[in-house]
Amino acid sequence: MTSTTDKAGQPKSETPEWEIKAAKQSRLAFGLAVAELARRDEKVAAISADTIDLFGLRPFLEASPERLIEAGIAEQNAMGIAAGMATTGMRPIICGYAPFITTRSLEQLRNDVAYANQRVVIGAACGGIVLAMAGGTHHAVEDLAIMRNMPNMTVIVPADARQTWHAAMATEQLDGPCYIRLGGKFDEPDVTELDADFRIGRADQLRNGDDITVIACGALVAPAVATSQALAHDGIGVRVLNMHTIKPLDRDAVLAAAVETGAIVTAEEHRVTGGLGGAVAELLATEQPTPMRMIGMPDEFAIVGPTAQVREHYAMGEGAITDACRDLMR
Amino acid sequence: MSSNYQAKIDGLENVARHIRRNVWRALHGAGSGHMGGSSSAADILAALYFHHLNLRPDDPDWSDRDRFVLSKGHANAALGATLAQAGYIDDSVLDQFYAYQSSFGMHPDIKMAGVEMSTGGLGHGLSVGIGMALGARMQAKDFRTCVMIGDGELQEGSNWEGAMAAAHLGLSNLTVILDYNKIQQSGHVGQMLDLEPVLDKWAAFGWAVREIDGHNMSAVVEALDALPFAAAAPSLIIAHTIKGKGVSFAEDSFLWHNNAVTDEVYEQALSELGEPS
Repeated sequence: MTSTTDKAGQPKSETPEWEIKAAKQSRLAFGLAVAELARRDEKVAAISADTIDLFGLRPFLEASPERLIEAGIAEQNAMGIAAGMATTGMRPIICGYAPFITTRSLEQLRNDVAYANQRVVIGAACGGIVLAMAGGTHHAVEDLAIMRNMPNMTVIVPADARQTWHAAMATEQLDGPCYIRLGGKFDEPDVTELDADFRIGRADQLRNGDDITVIACGALVAPAVATSQALAHDGIGVRVLNMHTIKPLDRDAVLAAAVETGAIVTAEEHRVTGGLGGAVAELLATEQPTPMRMIGMPDEFAIVGPTAQVREHYAMGEGAITDACRDLMR
Repeated sequence: MSSNYQAKIDGLENVARHIRRNVWRALHGAGSGHMGGSSSAADILAALYFHHLNLRPDDPDWSDRDRFVLSKGHANAALGATLAQAGYIDDSVLDQFYAYQSSFGMHPDIKMAGVEMSTGGLGHGLSVGIGMALGARMQAKDFRTCVMIGDGELQEGSNWEGAMAAAHLGLSNLTVILDYNKIQQSGHVGQMLDLEPVLDKWAAFGWAVREIDGHNMSAVVEALDALPFAAAAPSLIIAHTIKGKGVSFAEDSFLWHNNAVTDEVYEQALSELGEPS
């Protein structure tokens, strides 16, 4: 962190307040962005499903109690409320747990939000197996497949807390519903620059390379970068695309990678069916058939345990990504 | 009772007759449809659109309009007939029920002028209405929101989440009308999964409740005129109705929840409903 002085000669931090307060946790970065969006636009309101502290919304609640609706542990009602509110010109942002705000309120999400095409932003904390110790009821490893099958829906998986802030801010410009998958109560490594340009639907190329491409999202972006760095020592150029937007998919980036590198590995904390890997495979199968490997959860409910170990158990990490690259390069 | 008031009631009853005839017309054109629940709602819809709601049919997106959500979306034939009668949509749309690329399907579509929310999946309208009522409160607007729900629909648990929340939030700008025709798709509600004591349940949830005969136009108008029933609570009107109201062979029969409408049946129905003035 560097410091300069402002016009009055006072020391001034270049690190924005949100970066400090987010503490490298995307759920908190999202909550801070909610407060900032509400500050900028009086039509923005937050809807909590008993998730005020999960999203760090207590300061916002204290400052603007009329702008936060507590729906209680009642996701169906929360989702319907958001849709109805949006029809009146409000900009509701639901803050929910990924496993519950997707499947418990799925029909409201499909009918009231997606079918009626309302401007509702859904922040979904504890995506993937962030709550691995909590068991299968609390895992969300099918959420991207479900959301990607909703017409009108934009689906975003930020790679870190910083990107979460920028992604949440970018929803200001959206004219339809948006699902943003977030992490849990532990730090996520920074993989994007603090002030990196973020555009919905445009992948970030984090590492250049012409031998193979890893297309990753969320928690698997950092391991993908690590794979690229490791294989560079062996003279293998691994391109890394941070595919933060699952839908609309950055078709150009995927097709360019397929043409230019000839092999693709996808990596996501999600079942390999229907999510990022599925989206990439569907595109390549029809437009540019390309050898692929897909890193992610198999067709089963995950075991219980510490998140890092459960990720390892299902080979969702650097080792598996590296092995998949080597396998494809053979 | 003034002659003006009686003329108003007579006029609304006439609108309801138009709506019922057009429900049968739409269903006849489509070949079948949800006759029972469309007819039970007709008198209330007439009173809402031609007496109670503050609307501008020539400016359907007017931001201060009152909102109406037909949560029992399978009664869309009645909503379409009402919207046509009010001038939101062209009368010819009523002949496009279920038709290829029609805006007028079995269930309401928000893309049709005058429709506030796409409904059809049951148990959605109340939560959506709460959102609309909150939208009014948060934007300091005076518009009111009214949601019509069906009785069978109340078996969906999401309604009870909404009932709890609306009372907790003190949404006096929200009204729910229960079209209590006592019949659902496969039989009588009381035998399928009973709602009773439904008034006590909603009152216990914190709602201000009134019970009326949903086919007595004076009673419907008086209840709507008395809204809100409480200063800091949402209002519920339990409207006792008859499924298939107005046509003898369709009344109080679950067979007419959704049934085929032949030429013969159609002629008989129109004959029983009588000519509107």
